[in-house]
Amino acid sequence: MMATQITSLNRRFTNIFLSDYFVLYMSLAYVIVLAPFLPTLLTPQNLSNVLSNTWPLLVVAIGQTFVLAVAGIDLSQGAVIGLTSILCAMLIAVTGNPNVLSNAPIWGLVINEDGGFLNGLPLAVPLAIIVTLFVAAGVGALNGIAVAVMGMPAFMTTLVMMLIVSALAIYLPLSENINQLPDSYVALGKGDIVSVYFGTKSESQISRRVIYSLFTYPMLISMTVAFSAHVLLNRTVFGRQVLAVGANRRASEISGVPVTRIIILVFVISAVCAGLASVLYSGRLEAGRPTLGAGTFLLDVIGAAVIGGTSLFGGKAKIKWTFFGVLFFVLLSNTLNLMNLTAFVVDMVKGGVILSAALLDVLRTKLLRERTT
Amino acid sequence: MTAILKFENLAKSWFGVPAVSEVNLSVEEGTLLGLIGQNGAGKSTLMNMLGGVVQPSSGGMEWRGQPYSPSGPADARKSGIGFIHQELNLFTNLSIAENLFVDGFPRKRGFLDKTTMHDRARGILSRLSLDLDPKVLVGQLSPGERQLVEIGKALHHEASLIIFDEPTTSLTPREVNRLFDTIAALRKDGSTIIYISHILGDVMRLADHVAVMRDGRLVDDGNAADFTISRMIRSMIGRDLSGYYPPRSCTPGERAILELEGVSQPGVIEDVSLTIRQREVLGLFGLMGAGRTELARVIFGLDPHASGAIKIDGQGIAAKAKGRIASGLAFVTENRREEGLMLDASISDNLALVALESFGRGPLGVVEEESLATRAAEVRSELQIKAGNIATQPVKALSGGNQQKVVIGKWKMREPRLFILDEPTRGVDVGAKYEIYTLIDQLAASGGAVLFISSELEEVMGMADRIIVMNRGEVVGEIARPDFEKEKILAMAFKEEPA
Amino acid sequence: MMLKKKSLTDLFLQNATYVMFGAVVLYFGVQQTSFLMPDSMANIVKQASFIGIAAIGMTFVLLTAGIDLSVGSVMYVAPLIAGLLMQALDLPPTMGLFIAIAVGGVLGALNAFFIVVLRIVPFIATLSSLFLFRGFGTWLTSSKQFDFADEFRAFGLSSLFHIPLPIWMFALVLILAHYMLSHTGFGRQVYALGNSQEGARKAGLKTASIQARCYMMCSACAALSGYMLISQIGRLDAGFGEGSEFDVIAAAVLGGVSLFGGVGSVFNAAVGAILIQTVKLGLVFTGVNLYAQPIMQGFIIFLAVLVDGIRDKRTTALLKRTIRPIQ
Repeated sequence: MMATQITSLNRRFTNIFLSDYFVLYMSLAYVIVLAPFLPTLLTPQNLSNVLSNTWPLLVVAIGQTFVLAVAGIDLSQGAVIGLTSILCAMLIAVTGNPNVLSNAPIWGLVINEDGGFLNGLPLAVPLAIIVTLFVAAGVGALNGIAVAVMGMPAFMTTLVMMLIVSALAIYLPLSENINQLPDSYVALGKGDIVSVYFGTKSESQISRRVIYSLFTYPMLISMTVAFSAHVLLNRTVFGRQVLAVGANRRASEISGVPVTRIIILVFVISAVCAGLASVLYSGRLEAGRPTLGAGTFLLDVIGAAVIGGTSLFGGKAKIKWTFFGVLFFVLLSNTLNLMNLTAFVVDMVKGGVILSAALLDVLRTKLLRERTT
Repeated sequence: MTAILKFENLAKSWFGVPAVSEVNLSVEEGTLLGLIGQNGAGKSTLMNMLGGVVQPSSGGMEWRGQPYSPSGPADARKSGIGFIHQELNLFTNLSIAENLFVDGFPRKRGFLDKTTMHDRARGILSRLSLDLDPKVLVGQLSPGERQLVEIGKALHHEASLIIFDEPTTSLTPREVNRLFDTIAALRKDGSTIIYISHILGDVMRLADHVAVMRDGRLVDDGNAADFTISRMIRSMIGRDLSGYYPPRSCTPGERAILELEGVSQPGVIEDVSLTIRQREVLGLFGLMGAGRTELARVIFGLDPHASGAIKIDGQGIAAKAKGRIASGLAFVTENRREEGLMLDASISDNLALVALESFGRGPLGVVEEESLATRAAEVRSELQIKAGNIATQPVKALSGGNQQKVVIGKWKMREPRLFILDEPTRGVDVGAKYEIYTLIDQLAASGGAVLFISSELEEVMGMADRIIVMNRGEVVGEIARPDFEKEKILAMAFKEEPA
Repeated sequence: MMLKKKSLTDLFLQNATYVMFGAVVLYFGVQQTSFLMPDSMANIVKQASFIGIAAIGMTFVLLTAGIDLSVGSVMYVAPLIAGLLMQALDLPPTMGLFIAIAVGGVLGALNAFFIVVLRIVPFIATLSSLFLFRGFGTWLTSSKQFDFADEFRAFGLSSLFHIPLPIWMFALVLILAHYMLSHTGFGRQVYALGNSQEGARKAGLKTASIQARCYMMCSACAALSGYMLISQIGRLDAGFGEGSEFDVIAAAVLGGVSLFGGVGSVFNAAVGAILIQTVKLGLVFTGVNLYAQPIMQGFIIFLAVLVDGIRDKRTTALLKRTIRPIQ
């Protein structure tokens, strides 16, 4: 009697653990536990801040999800963000600062005192974004070909690619930022569509401090990406084949799935997502910065995707999971910041979170296996 | 003479299906026992129990008069039982000597004592009359030499009983002779040997004692002198199973669907020509390592061929598997867990895999879920896949027979012209086997053709219109249904003339 | 004995390192003849010894088909702990050396715990420890620069028979590691494990313990490498060793140690380290833009990994089972 109760309790627990929403529950629980200790956590200002950190990371993590789905990994996303950030900025900058940039190899070629190469053209911003997305796609294709055709291990290939691409991103402007970007570009990174005002109505002057962004362009962009990615991964032939390659590459090959093409394409998607996210990041920063995705950024992306439930072993991935994973990760970083912890403690915690995410993955896979055999 | 080894009512079953039942046998010290039987007769399971790889379900063993129940391969090795598996377990990046001593190197002051190691290795190699420097890397050795190194490992562990499982498969005739010399030398030193082989002539030549297994039972045993090859074959062939197979509901047409003309690939298949006609079930029979699967992979475009032509409907065929699938080929591999199924995915997802592209609509290729689900439901009921909700139930929760039906089903979704079925009834229980045979008949009757590959002679004879026999990568014979005769086919496969 | 006929491609793949080495030296030599002078050559070997020591440790891990991304952080944190202890207990630099190595071993054991016991994929496990270790180090110093005693720097800059200490250390580690890998049972079992983990388990080897010792070896070498490098400068910045894992892995792979396990030797790693240093110095000599240099290095590493991938594919194809003898 006792034993059956325990097993049913166990089952209930594993059910929750294995459910799509486990990480969402975990995030909510985390907020509930911490809220009394961190009064600033639930203020509108902080929540708006959490959201604005969520959107660009979500875009990157979605790209990573596709690669993880075929049992690959893309460590070069951060570097791609840096490179595309610089490329886009130097194409559309309104003016260039000769004091800062005149020694850079790009000076005079694509950017000078009169701004970037495309500055002044009617469709400069969209055009520049398209160009940089193509460059990102090229990097992704190189990764994919190296992995799928040449048989190089994904983590090593993308690690080396990260080295090359980030070095290139730093080389182009000689590690300087490129400022003076057009307003329309900046809006993509932080422009409001709807803001919420929490002040008293009688005030005639609304001070900037009490307007909180609710619906923003980054939100629109990343939700669009998320929705498209969801459709692509779950509703299309391509998405099904991606999951199939991750679940059993040999069986997929024999079943006529174009495995090589699929693997190349997921790396392209991953890089393009990184390129798109760079628009959001650099727009918010109002500058192109070569080191935008450097350092621990990588941990945020992989941590968010894996903790959401996407398996490092391939074949199991959902955009929904990644969304919850990103939310959890952003909340975590946010609370760590609110606790006034130093950057290195934050790094340590993030390292620990990646470890637990990987452990969680091992555990989940094991539980799922036991359950059906 | 004393019995060094005794099996007493030894039995093993997998998930309730018996693989070895009630084997009683004793092996005398210093003799060579030839163990024969068709594939799946239970020889390997029996030997794996002896070698500690598999634990018996019931019964026991006696080794040198003591009860013997090895907990693992290492345990068996310690007791003095050496097992030379068909798949060699050697490290190609280490030298011969290092391979011999890898689990316990001779040491001097903490360091590897290379002099002692090489001396002892040289001693072992000379016992094998293998004139090789022990410092040579195993990766540079021929298959025959590697085999001898593996025997050397058994000698090093001072095995007094050595099991050989199909040792000659990838050896040249010269290497085979050398192996036999070695075996003779081992016997002179007093070793006991169990020799498993499909090459009956070799067994006749080597054995003192012969044991024949069939369906997990020991069906015949006695002194080798009392055996002839035809007695061996007769014992291996089981009861007649007419009525065990569904009646064939169609006869082959004239039109050729698949033609092979002189297809060769070095080291794999040699000059294979064959034709499969409409509504025909062509049986492809051969023993382990005869090149059946290899031929199937070449036909399906997974492996290349160096010369010869493959045609479908009289037309040349695409070079890669994808193109061949488009022209109507389907391949159910012998290895459904590794090559057939996504075990963690649902039945529907598995069924959808091959036909997926034809259900994509629009530039994005959005899957038409409803028509896909309808088609999957159709296939499911056609094949009578017994499962709960096919959209949610993972394939790994199904029985072996139903898993196999899912693999056949995923190809059926596209209605292919030619089914290549490689060991489709392996690991499938008796009832489900019958259903698969019925399916084979239906596939042919619906206008396609089937290449039915199996190492179980009875089922090939039960289902095929014509049988092609392979041996060592070559087609060695062809026989039409009216002339089917077990002895004749087996003799071809064993490449022996029935006496 | 049947020797396989070697095609030109295989010959190139097997000797890619030396081909690359020759090409690099020739290229820079033509560009700048002073590059070929003994002085600059000696300088290359000295500079290579730091990465070289760590690359020798990395070889152990790579031989098991594993990877260790945390070496850069170990290079930072192990000498730091040694330095703190030296400062607190007033210990001589030689004692510090042993402390650093011991701390390295402990950090390696931690990695091994994640990988062998918790069964986390090596690159993820060591990627997290990269941040964990560095975070721990910055926490110890509150991300301030740490200054060592003067005698420490004197120790680092000392030389014996006109050969600088780092080169001695490099040679010592090289010889010790070589003995360990080729002249002990453990070493040969490392190769066996890298050739086939399944096979090693079947042969009754203690695979978990072998793997664990390799990770400990790797971190201990990284610690020594970091200690020697810091002893040249006498102080430790918060960013020390960041990104060094690239150079270390690259040196090993460039030298011919395979990422797929079981192939390569510590000499390969040493040659690879010298090759990398040659390229680095050559780029400086020929006046290539400072910012462009990492791009070139990246391409060379990419080439090395590519060659490794192709080589592995070819050996796998060669090992494919045949059912009839190829005469």
